[in-house]
Amino acid sequence: MIKVFNLYKSYGGLSPILQDVSFEIKDGEFAFLTGQSGAGKTTLFKIFFGWEKFDRGQVLVSGFNVGKLNEQKVYLLRRKIGIVFQDYKLLTKKTVFENVAFAQYVIGAEIKSIRTKTWNALKNVGLVKKKDFYPSQLSGGEQQRVSIARAIVNDPDLILADEPTGNLDSEIAKEIFLLFEKLNQQGKTVIIATHSAEILREKKCRNLSLNRGKLFQS
Amino acid sequence: MNSFLSHIFKSTFLNIESNKQLFLLSIVTNFVAFSVLGLFFLLFVNLDMVFSSWDKHVQLIVYLDDKISNNDKIKIENLFESNIKIESIIFISRDQAWKKFQGEFSSRSKFITSLKFNPLPDSYTLRFKNDLNRLQNIREFSEKIKNQKGIESIEYGEKWIYRFEQFINFLRVFIISFGVVLFSGLIFIISNTIKLSIYTRKDEIDLMSLLGATHRFIKAPLLFEGILQSTGGALLALAAVKLVHLYIIFQFQGSLESTFRGFDFQYLTTPLICSILIAGMVIGVFGSLLPVNHFLKMRNLK
Repeated sequence: MIKVFNLYKSYGGLSPILQDVSFEIKDGEFAFLTGQSGAGKTTLFKIFFGWEKFDRGQVLVSGFNVGKLNEQKVYLLRRKIGIVFQDYKLLTKKTVFENVAFAQYVIGAEIKSIRTKTWNALKNVGLVKKKDFYPSQLSGGEQQRVSIARAIVNDPDLILADEPTGNLDSEIAKEIFLLFEKLNQQGKTVIIATHSAEILREKKCRNLSLNRGKLFQS
Repeated sequence: MNSFLSHIFKSTFLNIESNKQLFLLSIVTNFVAFSVLGLFFLLFVNLDMVFSSWDKHVQLIVYLDDKISNNDKIKIENLFESNIKIESIIFISRDQAWKKFQGEFSSRSKFITSLKFNPLPDSYTLRFKNDLNRLQNIREFSEKIKNQKGIESIEYGEKWIYRFEQFINFLRVFIISFGVVLFSGLIFIISNTIKLSIYTRKDEIDLMSLLGATHRFIKAPLLFEGILQSTGGALLALAAVKLVHLYIIFQFQGSLESTFRGFDFQYLTTPLICSILIAGMVIGVFGSLLPVNHFLKMRNLK
């Protein structure tokens, strides 16, 4: 699913944000990407979905050679990835249903398919009853569920979640992690960037740890 | 395709809705700029028409020497007849010319009736065939014959025509330069409006891109919004120029007709109307493409 070879990325500071990072994530794997703030987790994710360029190395995601991806073609890669953000990135003027449907709408899906797939995605995260609510009427956990529904509605192979529980209390965070586990059981490859030590202690998953730009695996 | 079109219309409408005042302001600016350009065009079209109607009446008058020999006269007549661009040749003897002159001016000046001799020469009035280069044909022919033996002088109002032609050319250059300045100014105005439109919806555009929208999908509504602003302004300007045209006809057609011999005050020609509308569209496209491309580049998406 993901292969990273000798990846270097620098923002022009004294030391690079990513230094000689190499690893592989197989199809259907569930992995954590950990490290302190500024360790390079978000940068690595951004490289995966073609939002950031890198200086050296090779990155293969879902069959795409990210470094060689033409800017006009980067959308093809992004359609294979579902992204979940810490701040949810929901559109405040759209309802829950519209927010999820938006992901289908922007890739030009048929109206019939938009309805069915949005409905299924909401069912998957348990938010059908709140489909007509606006984000401001939802709790943090519910908003993150909407964000997850939006990430899975296009049926991506890979889900990247960047600090998905960063703004949530531990009980809600556990529910969200259960949701990711459920998606993983459905066959999705899931990578979660987090700095929550508690979650890591509980889950016996693969951990890719970033420290000062270098990767340590366990 | 249908859903793509509906996306363009829907998103454009939402953009306009969220930046209503700015959108209207941009249309008004475009309207004012295109109106000024349109009025210049209106002036140009009508002056050009006056000029061409005068051009049609221009005749070449060849005055002969008093002491011209018969042989030279025949040579000159042969020159006239060999030119296929000449439509008609009328000979006016000095007596005919004098009679006509006295008839027209004797009531105005006693000096004319008191003259005891005829000061006018024999002359030929040459009418040239109507074609696009009529004036040029007259000019070339007059150059060719002006040094011919037996010809005293040639007259077709050259200096006067030259000045008017210069004025028309100046107006043409002025309108083109003015159009170029206006073009750049309008692109700048539209690009600023679209820039604000983009920044109002920055999060949504970012999200679209993250979710896998194509550049075309992101750009199309913003492009359409820019085109709407400039062509909307251009259309309103054409309507305003039409109103000015109707007002001038209503108020001054009578006096214009008598001053310029049957002159009919015209509205802009179809090619000019099309040019203004096409210019509007081009301005809209460039005005929106500049900020959209810049934004996508800045967001590292391009």
